[in-house]
Amino acid sequence: MRTLLKYGGVAALVVLLSCPVLHAQNYLNVTVGYGVNFPTGAFKNYITHPGYKGFNASLAYPLNDQLSLGLSFGYNDYYQKYPRQTYNDGEGTTVSAVLTNSVQQIPVLVTANYTLIKKGFIRPYVEGGAGVNFATFDQYLGEFDAPHSKANWALKGGAGFYIPLSSYSPTAIKIGGSYNYAPFNSDGVKNLDTWGIEAGIRFAIH
Amino acid sequence: MRTTGWLTGGALLTILAFGSCRKDPLNNLTNDESRIYITNYDTTVNFSSYKTFSVNDSVDVIQDNQLNGRELSPYDSSLLAAIGSSLQQRGYQLVTKESSPDLAVNVARVYNTSTGIFSYGDYWDSYGSFWDPYYWGYGGYGYYPPYYAVGIYSITNGGLEIDLLDLKNAAAHNNKITTIWTGLARGEQVFNQANAASEVQALVGQSPYLKQ
Repeated sequence: MRTLLKYGGVAALVVLLSCPVLHAQNYLNVTVGYGVNFPTGAFKNYITHPGYKGFNASLAYPLNDQLSLGLSFGYNDYYQKYPRQTYNDGEGTTVSAVLTNSVQQIPVLVTANYTLIKKGFIRPYVEGGAGVNFATFDQYLGEFDAPHSKANWALKGGAGFYIPLSSYSPTAIKIGGSYNYAPFNSDGVKNLDTWGIEAGIRFAIH
Repeated sequence: MRTTGWLTGGALLTILAFGSCRKDPLNNLTNDESRIYITNYDTTVNFSSYKTFSVNDSVDVIQDNQLNGRELSPYDSSLLAAIGSSLQQRGYQLVTKESSPDLAVNVARVYNTSTGIFSYGDYWDSYGSFWDPYYWGYGGYGYYPPYYAVGIYSITNGGLEIDLLDLKNAAAHNNKITTIWTGLARGEQVFNQANAASEVQALVGQSPYLKQ
């Protein structure tokens, strides 16, 4: 809980510090999207199935025609059920159970996005982010749950392209991929790293 | 301007709505899949050194840490019969309790209405004292503390507990009756008569060392 408060406080501070800058500009870019994320690294020891419930949103301030800075939020749900099998602890205890792993991640990141080409039908971009990942990991043996929740720092790197819908506004379709580095370090679960593909739409609010 | 605001609000609400769509593991389990079977045994024991066993003629009913007496429901009868049959298939000889069996089988239905987090080790400690040494002809004998299981889980329903007691070596162990094997079954419909045989089969099946 203390960790959650600590990282939650850091995230709130980032938002507050961003406000004066945001208020000084004409508009903000809002992006909402859907993504499919694939567990990788140590995370695959627990869940190999892709997470099809991935949603994200971001609020970004354009510093110039190519670079923007903002906050991004996400929600990703992962689930996998393993058939019944026995687990031995090597000290005389055996458990037979259907094992289910359920993981939810809510990354809150400060994100920078750089568009490589300013004009054209397709405008490639690269982006990076750093912040906090709020994660819950529930492991069920049968119907019995052993829950773990933790907030930890996280990094994101991604690339893709925008397809503008108009020459005169920032409205565009965003298609891209990303790698999400998310340490967890709780009860033997080292990380919840994923890579993902996403599609969304970007528009401006004044 | 106003339209953009509505769009933004709508988009954020949509994300929140979709975000709350967590796939609930409990809604994706059958009754059979919800049940877990846990066995624990004394790794220093040679199970082939025992030849005979006897099964209690009824089942202890424990409600919120209190022994509510002994019962013999249709489920209990099926369960006791299945235990006897399984151990005979493993080479042990079923005898009456008056025939000085090497092993005693004690069975309990445990009901906990409280929800909490505790280890199975604590669970066994709490109920160990309900075993009746007089029933097995060992009045005045104490019980050796049972073993600790792995894991901490929230318990919200009843459980079946089967204990295998070492009567053969009770006197040699300073008049202590040692539990050498324990089986636990928990989950949905664990006390359904139709599931009694499969529960015993699961518990004995995952204990290959349990043979004469």
